[in-house]
Amino acid sequence: MKKAFIAAFLSMILINACKKDDNGKMEPIEDNTDLTGIPCGPSPHDLVIPAGLPSMNIPADNPLTDEGIELGRFLFYDPILSVDSTISCASCHQLKYSFTDLNTKSIGINGLQGPRSSMPLLNVGFFNLGLFWDGRSPNLEDQALHPVENPLEMAEIWDNVEVKLQNHPAYPKMFREAFCINNTSEITRDLAAKALAQFERTLISANSRFDQKIYQGNNNPFLWSDAEVDGYLIYFDDATGSEKLGHCAHCHDGKGLLSSERYENNGIEAVASLDDFPDKGLGAVTGKRSDNGKFKAPSLRNIALTAPYMHDGRFATLEEVIDHYNSGGHYADNLLLASIQPLHLTETDKANLLAFLQTFTDTSYYSNPAFQNPFQ
Amino acid sequence: MRKFLLFLVLGLWVASCKDDDIGPTTTVNLNFKATYDGRPLVFTDSVYVYPDGHLIKFDRLNFFISDIALLEAQGSGEAGLIDIGFLNFSDNSTLPEAETPLVVSNNKVPVGQYKGIRIGIGVPASLNRSSSTTLPTGNPLRDNAGEFWSDWDSYIFLKSEGKFDADGSGQFGDGPKEGFGHHPGTDEVYRSITFTHPIVLEEGKPFDLNFVLDILKLYVKDGVALDLTKPENLDTQSPSDLELAKFLMNNLLQALALEK
Repeated sequence: MKKAFIAAFLSMILINACKKDDNGKMEPIEDNTDLTGIPCGPSPHDLVIPAGLPSMNIPADNPLTDEGIELGRFLFYDPILSVDSTISCASCHQLKYSFTDLNTKSIGINGLQGPRSSMPLLNVGFFNLGLFWDGRSPNLEDQALHPVENPLEMAEIWDNVEVKLQNHPAYPKMFREAFCINNTSEITRDLAAKALAQFERTLISANSRFDQKIYQGNNNPFLWSDAEVDGYLIYFDDATGSEKLGHCAHCHDGKGLLSSERYENNGIEAVASLDDFPDKGLGAVTGKRSDNGKFKAPSLRNIALTAPYMHDGRFATLEEVIDHYNSGGHYADNLLLASIQPLHLTETDKANLLAFLQTFTDTSYYSNPAFQNPFQ
Repeated sequence: MRKFLLFLVLGLWVASCKDDDIGPTTTVNLNFKATYDGRPLVFTDSVYVYPDGHLIKFDRLNFFISDIALLEAQGSGEAGLIDIGFLNFSDNSTLPEAETPLVVSNNKVPVGQYKGIRIGIGVPASLNRSSSTTLPTGNPLRDNAGEFWSDWDSYIFLKSEGKFDADGSGQFGDGPKEGFGHHPGTDEVYRSITFTHPIVLEEGKPFDLNFVLDILKLYVKDGVALDLTKPENLDTQSPSDLELAKFLMNNLLQALALEK
């Protein structure tokens, strides 16, 4: 804790000490400090994968280490990454909301609003088919680079962040311990991103009542209510001979992720043609018209904690979300009509489905000290 | 992004083999295209005519292939090619894309004479319930974990999804039930097919086998097309849909052809 306070205090001092040129770029400080006197030898971190979740693809050039994860945790919570030291990753990815925030669209520097809602980070390390709502980033190491230079998020430039980190009283030692660098000039954006990625890969949650029943073999008959059991059948289209098909799991299942990881048009936007989506989502990344209006199907883990919903936060409550899907949404040529169609669920069906969604909630991670803000 | 998606599309797990005891080897490429009644299958925009005269279009086609082996010409020996692979045609939203095959390769296949090739469709039981927590990076079952259906404790072997103009209006999405999503899975619907075809592999000479999956044949048996105007034929998720799932997987065997 003392270490954290000192790091935060020194970060503030550093912000005021660094001078910027007319382009907002900091002048490099000629202080290539030798770090070889600091012991290094990162300890491999044995990541425990809970039952039900798949294995995690960890890049060979960024293995998990205790020191790398700890550095990533400090960077995640440190506003030093932003231009005026007011915004950290945790500003939009708050622990108690499954690492989202409560905003329809996330708020960055100077109160500026971004175009989309923040995505949950729990279990993000298991995702392989692109990150962000539009999939523009292939992995966490790449993803971590984006928000820093986004003018609506941290509005900083990485050159400056590197200067700040290289001249910080605490971080050079932490980078040395995590990556065995020899001097401060070797502190780069890539290493910062690697550390952030390491920390994010440890953000695992898998102790919901859904996990307990489906993956952990808990057969306690009282674990789920009758309403939740009925909601399960609707969610998985499993009510034999029934018309109660929710079609939810087609996009929100998959080896414990509760996400197909695919990108879909889920019918929330009324458009005249595929060219008319106000936010083209995946289409803006791939350049393919057929991808316009498609967004990642997010994990529904802890969905009750991550309001508001959809990429633009248009739905304030899960009730609104269920009403949308029950309506069938708006047609478009790339609408996933196999799942997005009028469901004809009754009020009871909807209530039971809502009840089932609560079984995805796992707050046990709240008390995990390894996830928490080191500056508090 | 495109490159990244292609990598995932072509995810495969090459059968393991020991370099030092198999002698000379070469590369075998398995090339897969999808068609609708002989026309390249283009997703999202292209509209096709179903045998009953209704319009149909497709949004998704993907399936697992597995346990692929070349059958030796003499005896019952075989050369393993691919343990598990995942073919995803759904990204083909233009004609050029649809005309470009998905390629699955093994570059260490023993040279020699073979009489055919066996291809499994789906995920074999030995892999279907294997612990995904230990699957290595790049394994198609790991990289396509989203294809797993927890309610069955099984991967979905095949996904064919699209829109069917059930009310005959000439438009999609204006009828009460016009989306279909066929997702057979579970051990009971795993299928395997053997193509008899002389294959002579020579050292240093890559060999191509070209396959075409005609998706219309997925829905037609003995000249009769599955009635997609019936709501009960539009999806396969409920346990009561097993017969439809079997129908589709059996048909898939006739839908997949080796071009000779």
